[in-house]
Amino acid sequence: MLRLESDRGVTVCDGLTRRDFLHVGALPLIGLTLPGYFARRAGASAPDKDINCIMLFLLGAPSHIDTWDPKPNAPAEVRGPYKPIATKVPGIRITEIFPKMAEHADKYSLIRSVYHTAAAVHDTGHQMMQTGRLFQGGIEHPHIGCVLGYLKGQRGEVPAHVLLPRPMGRTGGNMPHGQTAGYLGKQYDPFVLNADPSAKDFKVPDLLPPDYISAVRASRRQKMRDAVEGALAAFEKSAQAKQFDDNFNLAYRLMSSPQAREAFALDREPAAIRDRYGRTRFGQSCLLARRLIERGVRFVTVNMYETVFDEITWDIHGSRPFTDIAEMARLVAPDFDRAYSTLLEDLHERGLLQTTIVTAMGEFGRTPKINPAGGRDHHPGVWTILIGGGPIQGGRIVGESDELGYIPKTRPVTPAMVAATLYKGLGLDPHRELPGPQNRPLPLVDYDAQPLKELF
Amino acid sequence: MRKKVFSLAVVFLCSVVSLPAVFAAEVKILPADVILTGPHAHQRLLVVAEDKGRIVGERTPQAQFTSAHPAVATVDASGIVRAVGDGETTITAIVDGKQAMARVTVRKTKAPFTWSFRNHVIPMLTRAGCNSGACHGALAGKGGLKLSLRGYDPTSDHFVLTRQALGRRIDRSEPARSLVLLKPTQAVSHGGGQKLEPGSADYHVLADWIAAGAPGPRRDDPRIQRLELLPAAAVLKPKATLQVLARAWYSDGHSEDVTHWAKFNSSEESVAAVNADGKVTVAGYGEAAITVWYSNLVAANRITVPHLDAIDANIFTSANKSNFIDDLVLKKLADLRIPPSPLCSDEEFLRRAYLDAAGILPTPEERAAFLADKSAQKRAKIIDALLERPEFVDYWAYKWSELLLISTRRLPQSAVWSFYQFVRQSVADNKPWDRLARDILTAKGSNLDNGAANYFVLHKDISDLTESTSVTFLGMSLTCCRCHNHPLEKWTQDQYWSMANLFSRVALKNGERAGEVIVQVLPSGDVLHLRRGIPMPPTPLDGKPLPLDSPVDRRVYFVDWLTATDNPYFAKALVNRVWRNFMGRGLVEPEDDLRQTNPPTHPELLDALVKDFIDHKYDVKYLIRTIMNSTSYQRSSQPLPGNQNDDRFYSHYLVRRLSAEVILDAYSQVTGVPTSFTQVSSAAGDSTSTYNGYPLGTRALQLPDSLVVSRFLDTFGRPERSQTCSCERQQDSSVTQALHINNGQTLNDKIRAKNSRIESWLREKITDEEALRRLFVLALCREPTASEQKKFLALLAESAADAKTTRREALEDLFWSVLASKEFVFNR
Repeated sequence: MLRLESDRGVTVCDGLTRRDFLHVGALPLIGLTLPGYFARRAGASAPDKDINCIMLFLLGAPSHIDTWDPKPNAPAEVRGPYKPIATKVPGIRITEIFPKMAEHADKYSLIRSVYHTAAAVHDTGHQMMQTGRLFQGGIEHPHIGCVLGYLKGQRGEVPAHVLLPRPMGRTGGNMPHGQTAGYLGKQYDPFVLNADPSAKDFKVPDLLPPDYISAVRASRRQKMRDAVEGALAAFEKSAQAKQFDDNFNLAYRLMSSPQAREAFALDREPAAIRDRYGRTRFGQSCLLARRLIERGVRFVTVNMYETVFDEITWDIHGSRPFTDIAEMARLVAPDFDRAYSTLLEDLHERGLLQTTIVTAMGEFGRTPKINPAGGRDHHPGVWTILIGGGPIQGGRIVGESDELGYIPKTRPVTPAMVAATLYKGLGLDPHRELPGPQNRPLPLVDYDAQPLKELF
Repeated sequence: MRKKVFSLAVVFLCSVVSLPAVFAAEVKILPADVILTGPHAHQRLLVVAEDKGRIVGERTPQAQFTSAHPAVATVDASGIVRAVGDGETTITAIVDGKQAMARVTVRKTKAPFTWSFRNHVIPMLTRAGCNSGACHGALAGKGGLKLSLRGYDPTSDHFVLTRQALGRRIDRSEPARSLVLLKPTQAVSHGGGQKLEPGSADYHVLADWIAAGAPGPRRDDPRIQRLELLPAAAVLKPKATLQVLARAWYSDGHSEDVTHWAKFNSSEESVAAVNADGKVTVAGYGEAAITVWYSNLVAANRITVPHLDAIDANIFTSANKSNFIDDLVLKKLADLRIPPSPLCSDEEFLRRAYLDAAGILPTPEERAAFLADKSAQKRAKIIDALLERPEFVDYWAYKWSELLLISTRRLPQSAVWSFYQFVRQSVADNKPWDRLARDILTAKGSNLDNGAANYFVLHKDISDLTESTSVTFLGMSLTCCRCHNHPLEKWTQDQYWSMANLFSRVALKNGERAGEVIVQVLPSGDVLHLRRGIPMPPTPLDGKPLPLDSPVDRRVYFVDWLTATDNPYFAKALVNRVWRNFMGRGLVEPEDDLRQTNPPTHPELLDALVKDFIDHKYDVKYLIRTIMNSTSYQRSSQPLPGNQNDDRFYSHYLVRRLSAEVILDAYSQVTGVPTSFTQVSSAAGDSTSTYNGYPLGTRALQLPDSLVVSRFLDTFGRPERSQTCSCERQQDSSVTQALHINNGQTLNDKIRAKNSRIESWLREKITDEEALRRLFVLALCREPTASEQKKFLALLAESAADAKTTRREALEDLFWSVLASKEFVFNR
């Protein structure tokens, strides 16, 4: 029930407006203190110069040759149907299916030599690209955004890490995808939107009371809940009880905070800008990501798709239920080209690109040789990812693949090095240790993985 | 030297004179018996004050030391004794006119001496941090140099240091030019910074060793056998300091003071912190264990810091005691001067006992009967009755299913049911814990006929099997030792692979039915040591090895060791798990992290519980009954001024959030609306399928599978059952939970359901007062207080006056508020 866009307010069945609800809901919060909570996160609500990040996860894995690492001189069965085009940055060429991106090449760099050596299933790549590690020995590592939230806490009333629109679903490997806080614990999991921002009736589940609970009732509920007080003394000194209360208070704040309400109120965006991003799930997710960053969220992960099975994605095996190269160029690439370019442009115009890293990545590349079905299959041997914003320089190319796009030719880059680069960009020592399972110290990324210094 | 000692002594004497005589106690030197072996041998002495047999403070800085025979051993002002010549002498320390003595024997000062790579060089490098996980001990090494983590592999380390990198790392003819000295002293650039002071004692150990030809580890090197931490216990005051000493004992009978190379840790920094040199500083009240690690051995001592407030000793002696638990809990409380809270009320006890033992709320009828019962034994009677209830079986079958990872994550549905039925029947039969372990660990045949056999289907990988078995039945993690010696514990990689070899002959083959696997034991087969590449004699940790060619089922040999009454881990692991269930905190915490460097808060109590459990033939129900009948379990959760900060000595009942499953079931119980479980998630959590095996009315605690779809259970921290670890269950609160209770469907839908309890109350035309009273009794097992009643009735009157709020909605809000309250969601 997130109809927050309207200046006149939305009338609900009890005659009060949603704005009234938020007003009434906010009243009991006056004088509400969370000293312990915020003391733990020193300066959380103070303005800071911390770097934020938007991670666009291109689930399905884009074909590097057909996108950002064209091989015009390779044989036809490798080079594919699309010609390279020049971009705003001399020397950077991408394929013609990304015309808008070409105009913004100064805002991102390309890492053309990313590779991994684990099994060529989607799930392993998801783990490594989002956590820096392959999950082994039963340890689930935390997503980079969750680590950031764990170390820096949330800013004000909005969650530190938001995941849009839904968590990754089935991609065939039957493994975790690395989108949780893993061993750090559930309390550091991302706040998952679990809704489609492009849907007409878009709302954030659980964020606001359901329609049938009017503002008056919601307020009365809180008062009644506070009236259960017969055993308060037993809870006074319990850290667990305090955490429970703190979270209830945070939930109230989130429900009634203008900052949080604003952050998720996509309908407040002018129609023109909504159109610019594209009225797709991905386009509107990118727009929502910008809104969230603008309002204090530290890290936003956007899953471009949720599964490779029930939708047309980057997973272009050629045969059904997958799509082929042409369908990808027709349906998938324009969606990305528009949303990604608009996001960079929009952040830049608002002065946010200086403090916001934007990265777009898939979980591996695709086989250089086109298969008989007119598609390309999984190829972790080499692929290209996009990164820029914040302290990370745009307009550069790191590494290169060989002539046929099989393996890195120079500067091989592991997913751990990508993670180390993101951590460094976020102002964190990539080898800082976290208390892992059984308090085993675990560095953010393995000690041998260094950030790509040529991007800073 | 002598002059310096003298002048220092004067300074100390002056300071002593100016000090009031705060220590009425005796003084004593630790260690009282010193044997110095070899020309470089030394031992630091500690002068401590002792009162009624307990060490109560350190007096070393104030002591004046003298050696009876300086030609045998000298002692400096700080109390360090150094070998000079063979013979015997005594060292005397004088403090405040009190005198203490230590006997010193010096041997082998004329014997040829070189620093031992195994016993000196590696410990020195370890202390400097060279082979730590963050530096050259990392799996990939650092800067091209890779050492074994904390020196577990001296042979390879010696090779690496003396032969690798074209032998540039050491220069035998000019040791100071060796890279291993130039780098850590920053004479040449070193990524790790300066780790060694040129000319320091440690520098000379390395330099002298190189000068002596850099000899490698030898087969006949004396091996460390025992590590001692002195003093073993001390009772200190806030801000006091105490030096602790680490002494290593070797296979040839000699001992060395290894304090300077040992690694110290405090179990509780807020009570006592310890620095790298072993100096303890008291920070607060309570108890802390100082642990020391040296050359893969560990030892611990105990620092007790009692509250200063005078407290009437009668509080402890006259307190209610039901059994031995109370004696030992009260003893600890008396030592720390923490007063115990009084007994909880009957209502509090009833709700608490039902939730802790069976995961249910007492019904209003059960409450009324209990309150009406005037017998003195009524609590014991209700405990006995609870332990016979089917919900008790549900609760404990769920708990052990969680421990055993029963789930469709890795087992087909048919196997899940068969494993679950095995566990459930075992709980219903109150099968002794040793029998349960034996049934599981020696299971054979079809997993569908013998549910226990699924244990081996779940843990197909031998490392997984070894490590899970260790956590499940020994309460300890061996995972570290798969690749290297345990950095915090005495277990070695050799012991790991010796233990793993006990499981190397388990074989699986597919059966004829869907989901059927046959577990067999092969007559041959070994697992190879990860690093050595050879099979190790099958050995259960520190038990006796079984010959590699022995034909017996190695699993049976393991279980015989496991369930022997003198096994120090098996019963302890279970006792600690059960204790934590009721007391809110394990005697060892986390509950499955039993190790020497993580000592229990109440060692004597844990030992007594274990002995009692074994004496009663591993009877889990008996153990539960003992704990629940103790006064310690039945204390009020309301703290007293003197015990409000106590979260581990059981001075009051520790309030805790109920588990996800218990809350959900309690919502169903109070609203009268069951939860429907109709979907099962895929193992990766990314798709769901319909499953009709759980008829409506199935409680969350009756689910055999952790993948049954439930937003509520996931949000509130239901364990995934993917790895054996108590850490999987999350008791933490999150904002998502709070949002879900407020705005989500679980609770709101139950309250709004057409068939909810509210509906029948509406038909009765219930009054506000009666609704409030009934709801409190149902949900909180108590009636509302006068103040609560007043507030609630006012708010309900407000609802009634509000034309937009229906009567039903008013009652829905009432239900919501009580069911969302902390008192409901917590046990207290």
